[in-house]
Amino acid sequence: MAETFPFPRRTPVRVTFGLGMLLLGIFGFVPAIGVLVASFTDLRGLPGLPIAFVGIQNYIDFFSPAKWADSANALTNTVIFAFASTIIQIVVALAIAVLLNRKLKGRNFYRAVVFMPTILGVTVTGLVWSLIFNVSGGPAASVLQLFGGRSAFFGDPHLALALVILVQVWMVLGVSVIIFLSGLQAVPEELHEAAEIDGASAWQRFRSVTVPLLAPAITANVLLGIVNALQSYQLIYVLSGPNNRSTQVLSLLVYVQGFGGASGTTLSQSQGYAAAVSMVQFVLVAIVSIVALMILRRREAKL
Amino acid sequence: MTATTTTATTGDQGDSKVPPSRGSAQVQTRRRRRIPIGAYVCALILLVIFLFPLLYLLNTALKSQAEFVSDPVGLVRDPQWGNFVTAWNTGDFGSYILNSVLYTAAGSAIGTLLTLVLSFPVARGYVKGAKYWSVIFVLVLFLPNALITQFQLLLRLGLYDTQLGYILLVGVGVGVGPLLLSGFVKSIPRELDEAAAMDGVGYWRYLFGFILPLARPALVTVFILQAVWIWNEIILATVLLADPTKFPVTVGLYAFKGTYGNQWPLLAAATFIVAAPLIVGYIFIQRYLVNGVVGAIKG
Repeated sequence: MAETFPFPRRTPVRVTFGLGMLLLGIFGFVPAIGVLVASFTDLRGLPGLPIAFVGIQNYIDFFSPAKWADSANALTNTVIFAFASTIIQIVVALAIAVLLNRKLKGRNFYRAVVFMPTILGVTVTGLVWSLIFNVSGGPAASVLQLFGGRSAFFGDPHLALALVILVQVWMVLGVSVIIFLSGLQAVPEELHEAAEIDGASAWQRFRSVTVPLLAPAITANVLLGIVNALQSYQLIYVLSGPNNRSTQVLSLLVYVQGFGGASGTTLSQSQGYAAAVSMVQFVLVAIVSIVALMILRRREAKL
Repeated sequence: MTATTTTATTGDQGDSKVPPSRGSAQVQTRRRRRIPIGAYVCALILLVIFLFPLLYLLNTALKSQAEFVSDPVGLVRDPQWGNFVTAWNTGDFGSYILNSVLYTAAGSAIGTLLTLVLSFPVARGYVKGAKYWSVIFVLVLFLPNALITQFQLLLRLGLYDTQLGYILLVGVGVGVGPLLLSGFVKSIPRELDEAAAMDGVGYWRYLFGFILPLARPALVTVFILQAVWIWNEIILATVLLADPTKFPVTVGLYAFKGTYGNQWPLLAAATFIVAAPLIVGYIFIQRYLVNGVVGAIKG
């Protein structure tokens, strides 16, 4: 197993590697594994209360008729949010990356502008878009009014999730664009020229030269996108609050159940139950990522 | 939604280096290309989509409450620069921003250092069971949402509501870092290790004196990716910090919204106060940042 070690003493490697793993273990893996343990208990938020093992009761609760309305709602929202935001993000980011890979004047400026929302952060992004979708006379409402329409935007249960997805895409697009740009720069110019000489149209060149060579970048983006979207809730928290049913995703349910906010529910402040929700989410993420990875790998091989 | 998707499709078409007509063979033989008007139009649309929200924010921030109520959308007529002063005095944004800078800098530094000391020996096989350790690097990406237990851990370690506890928890959020760096380390020839060792360079001196500068592009990416994540963090901070003087700017601004949610000009001014230093700082580092990320991922 161990490769030849050229340095005189092994102690320094062991010290830094060991310390690093210790830190990662305590603050990274202990909480992660602890979630599984906690999901079988009736752990509460307040310290000092006795903790009892309750077996799989929390999971039974999650799927029980009393909770199922909330659980199914959060599950559905999570899946819609993750798939829609990932797909839109990748298609739009690829288009923008191809555009910004051309030798346009000021393209560094365009790139910088597209990446900017990432720097601004969720709260600024959330507030800016709340302002734009302000019900009483925001610009979006004014445009709608021109066509004689009106909408409650984030207050409209049919629209809220779509709007959150839109803002999410706006915010995280830059990172995907950058990943695609780095992939595009690895596509040799000669391939394009060769295809051009052979009479391939722009679309054909994009389809048969660029996309196959971008396959690794697409895989990376899809996986990062799905994992991020299935777990991201920061923006939803800022945009529509933790208790808005129409945008309630699993991660937000964890927060609400574990740290209050939802008053009146029977199990509010039950961190054991919240841990069980985390585990359900974890299984969902794992299944979706493995399936996505398998599909993408097969596509990569075929291309 | 519609706005963004529209750009997507037009962006696709605008990209074509020549108009996608059937008889374009003759056009292609010309080496000199016309100015790609379509591409510039797309770029312009892109700029509008990304800059309009901020300009609108500024416009709102300069209105008085009365003007906002009577005409929320129109261009500001009588700029109220005092809004910024009021917002600054009402919210404690200076210290929020400082907190965020501290958390982001310290957390990312810890994460990047961790990434370096863990990835290099694993990528090189200098520790036993390197194969299994590299599986751990992948697992890090898929850990369950541990909000509950992170809170409990800090509570039990006596680190709840401390800056150190929060920094440690965001610091270990290394994400794709170890995978990125392991890939990069493989591009550094092993002979370099052997030559340095032959000259009597110790492991630590080699790691920090040779690998660190050589892997700088990758390390910068690792740092930036983690910094972006920490800068945007709001839920963990809400859960792990109780004392408002320790809030990062994400939580601080959100709390401000809770209090002044119906006074949009004031809220917009506060948002702008938070956004402005970021935008200014970003202008200075953007070339390095964006191109650095591109270059490093390529490497």
